[in-house]
Amino acid sequence: MAIDGSKIIHAVMEGSRIRDAKGIIPLFGVYLSLFFVQYYNKLSFDFENEMGRERQSESAALLVEAAQECGYATFHGIRTSREWEELVRPMIELKEDQIFSFAAVAVAFGWGDLDVREIIPKEKLVIRVSDSYEATGYLHLRGLANSGKCYMLRGVSGAFMDLLYGEDYPDGCFTFRTEEPFCRAKGDSYCEFIARKTSFKRRA
Amino acid sequence: MMLINWEHELDRVGHRVILSGLPIAMHCHHYNINLQKMLEDTIGETGVRLLFEAAEEVSFYGLTSFLSHYSRIKTIKSKLEVASTIYQNCGLGVMHFQKIGNRGGTIVSPSSHHVTGWLAKHGKRETPGCHFARGWVAGVLEAVYNHPLHHFAVEELACKMMRHDECKFLVKER
Repeated sequence: MAIDGSKIIHAVMEGSRIRDAKGIIPLFGVYLSLFFVQYYNKLSFDFENEMGRERQSESAALLVEAAQECGYATFHGIRTSREWEELVRPMIELKEDQIFSFAAVAVAFGWGDLDVREIIPKEKLVIRVSDSYEATGYLHLRGLANSGKCYMLRGVSGAFMDLLYGEDYPDGCFTFRTEEPFCRAKGDSYCEFIARKTSFKRRA
Repeated sequence: MMLINWEHELDRVGHRVILSGLPIAMHCHHYNINLQKMLEDTIGETGVRLLFEAAEEVSFYGLTSFLSHYSRIKTIKSKLEVASTIYQNCGLGVMHFQKIGNRGGTIVSPSSHHVTGWLAKHGKRETPGCHFARGWVAGVLEAVYNHPLHHFAVEELACKMMRHDECKFLVKER
């Protein structure tokens, strides 16, 4: 495999230490912030709680959509950035190497230990994560879940495929939809994300 | 004066990114602003409250953890300086604690991640929108002045998301 994730992680860590005089971190084509994972977990799971059991599927869908649209814009920015051109582009041999590079960036961002298990071009992506901060956070805040709780990683996994196999940016978002059949928050030993092409695409 | 060793405080332990012993994540403006807009659009004022409370609680415990590693930082002025430095080093923006005391005061922010992100994605707002910053301010001041959580209310009097010159926060005891 051509992608050296450690180089990407190193670049992100170094870049995240450089902010401008306004306290803004411009890196890989986006504005980056560093904040405790507990904030994101509290926000997501308190939102889910406010929506109630009757609207559980709606709240989950909204959190996944927010992440997928974000992942789509973020990783588009990343793959068109100067840093990507200089550091990552030379390592890419196959189109699918972009997915491994996206996953390495996500690891660098502290989202978990993303492990790309399977890619079927234009059809399917499988990513496994044994330490997702969302699953850890849910177990800590709420206890055992009855469904997958890694909404951010679900959305982002779909966005990876959208960027590779959807229509050209910005029209390809939500081409893929991701399920999380296994999640540590519900007692599984790891979280798994399976993105597949949707039969109909909702508008971004 | 360099009060903290940022190189030491921001580190990696395996795949985790750690700030002063607590796990953090790097997220960009797309995600932070998407979350805010989704919450505001879906549940209105309740969503605004969730944003405030999450930022308040987490900044409270985050700063408390941070200061526990630096016992030599004792004065209120130094603690506020550390908080401001963390805010800036985390890419959250610039926060000036100039007219603040044990019972509240005013704080000015000339720039922030959320303002930059909101304007880039959605343009001018009609209402103040720095809910994260308000919560962050409340939690930090509660930690610095040894007050319990939810001691302070923070109102945004001016907001750069509305194209004001700066964000201005009024802090009062509840």
